[in-house]
Amino acid sequence: MAAKKLGIQIVYQEVDMALMPNLTVAENVMFNDIVMNMKGKLFVDYGKLRREAKKVLEELKINIDVRQICGKLSLAQKQMVLIARAIQNSCNFLILDEPTAPLSDTETEELFRVVKHLRETQNIAIIFITHRIHEILRICDSYTVMRNGEIVDTTPITEATTSKEIVEKMLGRSFEENFPKEVCEIGEKALVIENLTEREGRVKDINMYVRRGEIVGLAGLVGGGKTELCKTIFGAYKKASGKITMNGKELRIKKPADAVKNRLALVPEERRKEGVLVAETVTFNLAAACLNRFCHLSFVNDGAAAKNADKYVKELGVKTPSIRQRVAFLSGGNQQKVVVGKWLAADCDVYIFDEPTKGVDVGAKQEIFRLINDIAKAGNCVIYATCENSELLSITDRMYVMFDGKIMAELETAKTDEAEIMHYATGATEAYAAS
Amino acid sequence: MQINKSKAKFLVDWAAVMVLIISVIVFTAMRGTAFFSFANLINILRAVSAVTIFALAATVSMAPDGFDMAAGTLGSFCAYVFASLFLWFAMPLWLSVFLTIIFAMIMYLLNMFLILVCKVPDMLATCALQFVHQGLGLAYTGGGAISAGMSTAAWAEALKGGDNTPLRSGWTEASQNIGKSPYIIIIMLICVAICFVLLERTKYGRYLYAMGGNKTAAKLSGIDVKKMRFMAGMFAAAFIAVGGIVVCSRNSAAQVNGSDSYLMNSLAAVFIGRSVGGREKYNAIGTVIGAILITTLENGMTMCGVPYYILPAMKGAVLCLALVAAYITTKED
Repeated sequence: MAAKKLGIQIVYQEVDMALMPNLTVAENVMFNDIVMNMKGKLFVDYGKLRREAKKVLEELKINIDVRQICGKLSLAQKQMVLIARAIQNSCNFLILDEPTAPLSDTETEELFRVVKHLRETQNIAIIFITHRIHEILRICDSYTVMRNGEIVDTTPITEATTSKEIVEKMLGRSFEENFPKEVCEIGEKALVIENLTEREGRVKDINMYVRRGEIVGLAGLVGGGKTELCKTIFGAYKKASGKITMNGKELRIKKPADAVKNRLALVPEERRKEGVLVAETVTFNLAAACLNRFCHLSFVNDGAAAKNADKYVKELGVKTPSIRQRVAFLSGGNQQKVVVGKWLAADCDVYIFDEPTKGVDVGAKQEIFRLINDIAKAGNCVIYATCENSELLSITDRMYVMFDGKIMAELETAKTDEAEIMHYATGATEAYAAS
Repeated sequence: MQINKSKAKFLVDWAAVMVLIISVIVFTAMRGTAFFSFANLINILRAVSAVTIFALAATVSMAPDGFDMAAGTLGSFCAYVFASLFLWFAMPLWLSVFLTIIFAMIMYLLNMFLILVCKVPDMLATCALQFVHQGLGLAYTGGGAISAGMSTAAWAEALKGGDNTPLRSGWTEASQNIGKSPYIIIIMLICVAICFVLLERTKYGRYLYAMGGNKTAAKLSGIDVKKMRFMAGMFAAAFIAVGGIVVCSRNSAAQVNGSDSYLMNSLAAVFIGRSVGGREKYNAIGTVIGAILITTLENGMTMCGVPYYILPAMKGAVLCLALVAAYITTKED
């Protein structure tokens, strides 16, 4: 409240935390107004509310109906509503926490345009928090690097500033720019998906295959249907039709429990909400997918589970004071390692990763890549979904580009580039012609 | 600062035990041996037993983030069924108990249908079911209590060809023993042991707690969350049936809505038990401590002359305090 009075506005990374999904866009955009400027007033003037909200959205050049219920918007649209809310107020300082994470490239451009506009015309100072270093170079005047809750360095950005320099400050050590892909031996086709369609139509007519030892990417923008495809394969979303076969044998997957029985693993996008059990210990999290192995007649053998936890904590380099630590107290990267460890312990055949590097620092990212590579090297199938094209280009062997729940193209990683991926990811159906 | 924090945490974690000890000292000081005697201890433990059994049902429901507001009314219904099977139809005691547990499980299918198939939130579904249980229960008994020597309901009369005298004229010694010490305490201890082993020692317990922490993550870890919730529900139903039988035997009759009042006490016991020893989880041992605390307070206050009609306010206040202890540490976001 005090911060708001001083004109400090913040747009959080977790958009769903800040929005009221049951209210309209207009009410959400004007929410601060309703809360702060209604003293002594009883009735809300909805006509005025909608007009003002519309004006703000128009300024941002966002095409959203102000009468729409916020819960029905896409992630990128919700983000835009929040930004609109922030600038609607008298605002001197604007803090943007990972604002571009859910945005596509065009939406990011839009955001940058608005940010520049705000700085130039309204004299607003902006703090831009992000993992995407090229964005800092593009729109920031100076940057501050933080590591382990401490400020490492604050420097103005000049022509000579490079992303490598920033990354090195973030890591506290030098680091090779791209992850070197290790060559794995690729075997025969193992996982084959034919005509897979999800019941609500979020995924349509998917045909794909993964060979042993192969890392297959799922490319596409946010909202392209990558997460939905991962969840449909895993049984978390119900399929309407289609066939999933593993080594020629059809898998009957109606719910995630069936998927795990068939040795499929999913590292979901929303780590804290879907991946780890934050209230439970590292030991239990690492045993959650294969507790049967540590049980005798349904009774848990704590010793065996602890041994399992010790093994994977050491193998994956999870930084935790003890295996009895609750996972809530671990950092994002270490939580992610625990999620991966859970599936390694379960000894699966197919590993599906959905944005595994989201909210993970650069150092942990490298370790996660190494892990995924090792998983593939052991002859498993890996599906890797992300909207970070650079990650796809450095770690996958092959990729499928998705748009609107459909696969638009299949690309060989060695023979493609970012431009071609974006060409298909934005919905183009004609063949790509390199310029 | 660090020391203060850990001290404060210690106080919250063991508040229930300390309140228990203090209240025993205070009641003893006020009433002397009338309170602090072997006879009264047994008296308290008998009351604890019934509360604990209902509270265990709530514990297994709540471990996977479920809830059951209709446990009390289902318990009353189970008591009607038990009494009618035993008195009206003169079934052997073991068969009456067995059939009552089966009956509770069948009735619980309705809870599970609403919660798992229709996806109604637990709290609302069981809130509605309270009234279903109350109405159906009294329809079953013909509108009144079931006790020794009273004539049967009309449907039972028709079933027996127009004879409205119950086949068994009174309670047997064995059936009365269920509600007496030491049997009632032994029954409670068996239930506690079952609940403890289920939640603490088996994989099912881990799954239930995992669901309680984060249902989506549990589901995506390959835990069959619906199956687990169903299993928890069936255990809850069995505990509720046993609770209904115990209360029926203590009262020597299946009184109208006889178990309904146990709901409040049992919920208070579960919430008190949640924070005992810093577990932060609904657990069997904590629940027992909670039940002992709330029953001791009730017993001691009654002895000190607090009128029975004020007691609910005291119990409600204890429940509030337990909830405060459980939620005050929740981080604000």
